[in-house]
Amino acid sequence: MSEEMLRSDNINKYFGANHAVSDVSLSFKKGEIHGLIGENGSGKSTYVSMLTGIYPIDGGKFILEGRELAIRNQVEANRNGISIIVQEMGTLSGLTVTDNIFLGNEDRFVRHGIKNTAAMNRKAQELLDQFGFGRIRATSMIDNYDFEDRKLVEIVKATYFDPKVLVVDETTTSLSRAGRAELYKHMKRLKELGNTVIFISHDLAEVIEQTDSISVLRDGQLIDTVESSKATEGQLKRLMVGRELSDRYYRTDYGEPVSKEIVLSAKNVSVPGQIRGLSFELHRGEILGIGGLSECGMHEVGKAVFGASFDRTGEVTLADGTEINSIPKAIRHSIAYVSKDRDNESLVVNDSILDNICLPSVKELAVGHVLLKKRLSAFAEKYAKLISVKMSGIDQFVSDLSGGNKQKVALARWLGKGSDILVLDSPTRGIDVKVKADIYALMTDMKKQGKSIILISEEILELLGMCDRVLVMKDGVLSGEFERDRSLTEEDFIAKMV
Amino acid sequence: MTKSQTVTEMKKPRRKYQEFMDNPATRNILPVAGLIVIILLFTFLTGGKIIQPSNIQLLLSQTYMLMIAATGVFLIMTMGCLDFSQGSMLGMASIVICYLSAYSIPLAILGGMVTGAAIGAINGFFLVKRKILSFIVTICTMFLFRGCIAYLTTDNPVYAVGDIFSYNTIPVKLGLTVVLLLLVFFFFHFTRLGYTLKAIGAGEQAARFAGIRVDRTKWLIYILAGAITGLAAFINVIKVGSVTSTGGSMLETEILIALALGGLPISGGALVRFSNLVVGVLTYKVLSTGLNMLGLTTEMQQLIEGIIFLIVVAVFSDRKSLQVIK
Repeated sequence: MSEEMLRSDNINKYFGANHAVSDVSLSFKKGEIHGLIGENGSGKSTYVSMLTGIYPIDGGKFILEGRELAIRNQVEANRNGISIIVQEMGTLSGLTVTDNIFLGNEDRFVRHGIKNTAAMNRKAQELLDQFGFGRIRATSMIDNYDFEDRKLVEIVKATYFDPKVLVVDETTTSLSRAGRAELYKHMKRLKELGNTVIFISHDLAEVIEQTDSISVLRDGQLIDTVESSKATEGQLKRLMVGRELSDRYYRTDYGEPVSKEIVLSAKNVSVPGQIRGLSFELHRGEILGIGGLSECGMHEVGKAVFGASFDRTGEVTLADGTEINSIPKAIRHSIAYVSKDRDNESLVVNDSILDNICLPSVKELAVGHVLLKKRLSAFAEKYAKLISVKMSGIDQFVSDLSGGNKQKVALARWLGKGSDILVLDSPTRGIDVKVKADIYALMTDMKKQGKSIILISEEILELLGMCDRVLVMKDGVLSGEFERDRSLTEEDFIAKMV
Repeated sequence: MTKSQTVTEMKKPRRKYQEFMDNPATRNILPVAGLIVIILLFTFLTGGKIIQPSNIQLLLSQTYMLMIAATGVFLIMTMGCLDFSQGSMLGMASIVICYLSAYSIPLAILGGMVTGAAIGAINGFFLVKRKILSFIVTICTMFLFRGCIAYLTTDNPVYAVGDIFSYNTIPVKLGLTVVLLLLVFFFFHFTRLGYTLKAIGAGEQAARFAGIRVDRTKWLIYILAGAITGLAAFINVIKVGSVTSTGGSMLETEILIALALGGLPISGGALVRFSNLVVGVLTYKVLSTGLNMLGLTTEMQQLIEGIIFLIVVAVFSDRKSLQVIK
């Protein structure tokens, strides 16, 4: 049973500048349940979305039983023997259970242009009974059933025709134990028929138990494929979170004391659905790291400190008791923020480097309420050069710059503003090693000048290498705190993150 | 490294045309070239009649009101917003000016500007506080105040005092227009508020994160644009002397076409130039006067203007900013 069912050759997908899936080549055997794991945003869902025709492929190809697939939508995928049970609600409300099961395949019941609804309903009920979901009535509206039952209908819809490849994308989290058992049963059935199941889940224990082999994706790249029987959770976690090789660019000092002076404190900060009751203090000249899995709420912390969170509760105050509750107030009180969302929040990409650098500082640049272009240009020129932005001139649009240079412009504006507290969210995301090193050097410089930095990052080594202290978050709450120490390892961290 | 490389690679197959349009010089020169072409074209078609002094004077006398009203909308569109309520605003302000002109002319002007500003404030309220798209809000207020105008002019047109025509002189109209243009030019280029308008149009969220009070700015600009339209209403009243139920109707479309002809990207943003306003209004007026002189029917004129509008908008739209108009 080791014949190949499906293969992907160098599959690629871009979302704008974001390389979501990068040269993924994978092989799936017949009669195999193949696990696909990775952090959020690692490209798992994007990969299977291309396989099932939800997204167009930007490069590479899928080969099913030796034949290249050219699928444009889910119905075509079904006809080719590929089906998917999606993460979100996959049924359409306003239709009956029958309509949902045969969506896109109604032709089977059409004779001379007339749809035989009765036959369709009969067939659907037959299938439901056969699957053991007899309590679901084929003629009822899908809206009469709860989320779990709707997922069961999706299982019927995706598997009744014995697809060659079934994709189960993060479905089990929304199912009860009984529902999961039903799903596993049908995955096993397909496997025994010699078909292939691609199983995506965040529950590593479940993945190890249910699959034959497991592939790990990180940042859109395939990291490794391992045999499930030999895999351990710890090993998989390490593969998922990953290691960067550029640690020689980090700070080298250890054991230097940090000032006791507190410059900013957060008390009991909550943002619905993101952060719960977070409190911390930032000291003068400190680089404070915040780490965790991408969805742990750490990115919202940056916004909360900057006064940019929509419905934040709790307090963010400066040393003198000033409360920070809006962006203009934060900027006025010397707080700077570089967002993870570089193109929408950090920078006005459809505007010049000049304007981007000057925007937060227009008040200081005005001569008695009058703005002079000469003064603005000199200011932008000075800080763009200082941080060595590669550009044709300050009138160049930011949209034409590479990711690293964009980030430099974002930093240049706050350098020019002279902010004392910097909140940097994923400042080195998607940036090459050279610019990364520049950014780390800049941070070290600022620390020496007595400026305080909050570094929010998904890269553990970056946090270990740059920070005086690191807070670890999990599911919106603080789950651990580490002081700067040479002996800290990634494992200590991961234990608190996952 | 690989990421930035792939991005540049992806940009390569951009079409020549796009590169041509992205060149800032193209955007500056094309509208002026358009104006010259249209002047030459109509000089030829009307056998030179259009450039006779008497006709130029007539053309200018029709331009003042549009130029002033378009100034406010120019600021709004720079932020990536729209305003369809200008016509109704002008009508309402004209009625107030007519009523108040019986007491004092300065009071009438003030009244007109306050009326415009109040309607602008209503637009701003729904845009900022209720988060409704500007074109929806202003279409609603357009109908709302058109209704008010119809009600107030049901039996008779509203008349201003008879001697208001004494203000209908070139120094008053030209002076007012030039002073306003200079003020707005200064505001647009040399003040903090004016400087931020382009950033709001180019990327509202990012502007917010740079510390710009986006909501407050939007509201202020809608109020300012309303007040400016009040001023346009004064020019309208001294010329016509009365307001009927159709007073000011279609003004919003004329402004929109004029600004588009001037090369203003419909989504606003960093590519907006002050010259878009002046060149656009002049181009539109030469075009409509020219079509009129050729003896075309109103319907025919509208048809031609519509086609030109569509072409110009397609040419000047800023394809890189993919956001919707707010």
